[in-house]
Amino acid sequence: MAETCRQFLADCGINPERLALEWASAAEAPRFVELITGYVNSIKEKGEIGSAEGEADSETIKRRLAAAVKAAEARKPRIALGNLAKRLHKEGDFSKEAIEKGVSSKILPALRAERIKEELLMLLAQGPMDMKELSKALWADEGEIEKPLSQLVKKGVIEEKDGKYSLADK
Amino acid sequence: MAQQNVVKKESEMAQEGFEPRILGFFCHWCCYAAADSAGVSRYQYPPNVRVIRVMCTGRIDARFILEAFRCGADGVFTGG
Repeated sequence: MAETCRQFLADCGINPERLALEWASAAEAPRFVELITGYVNSIKEKGEIGSAEGEADSETIKRRLAAAVKAAEARKPRIALGNLAKRLHKEGDFSKEAIEKGVSSKILPALRAERIKEELLMLLAQGPMDMKELSKALWADEGEIEKPLSQLVKKGVIEEKDGKYSLADK
Repeated sequence: MAQQNVVKKESEMAQEGFEPRILGFFCHWCCYAAADSAGVSRYQYPPNVRVIRVMCTGRIDARFILEAFRCGADGVFTGG
């Protein structure tokens, strides 16, 4: 789960080190203090969300996280997560590499696809955009956007006019 | 000019005194108890963490973490 979150945060343009998962038992107060102090200092170095190296600007992050929350609720990524957990249990291999590989090959593509779809709708709600603009705003290449876009056009949610896409009038 | 300097100084101070907002998900039986006993034994630790107690770290969902960042957290600390 933590690995999924880390990879997905990176996909959203957030430094994955902002998420920490640490273990301290009830008897380990000094260790807890050490962990929390180290962690707070590392975040202080990184600065506000969106200001660390390689991160998206804060407006993009806001929009993207709203899409990401919806993506995390969607059925497909959740099924992928369940299936991966089942597979790891069956194979008995819980090494870091096996988990990383499983997440990046199975769960992340599902989450990313949902994120792109949701963010597409959010962007088009602000006004019409063409393929190039969409690709730049979504951090995705045109091939990745085409599929959800054509599905939404088919459903009648989005319409295309002179190469520009916009939300269909209801 | 003087005012400009003041403004500059203020922004510098804001940079130096940046206090991150961190959300903590603490397990009731482990980290939460550790935090409690750290408090009782008067250890000093930074006050930036807002804690949400969960009954088990396994209860935490990817949604919680994304939602925390969406609400403006600069970091999420999960303690089991």
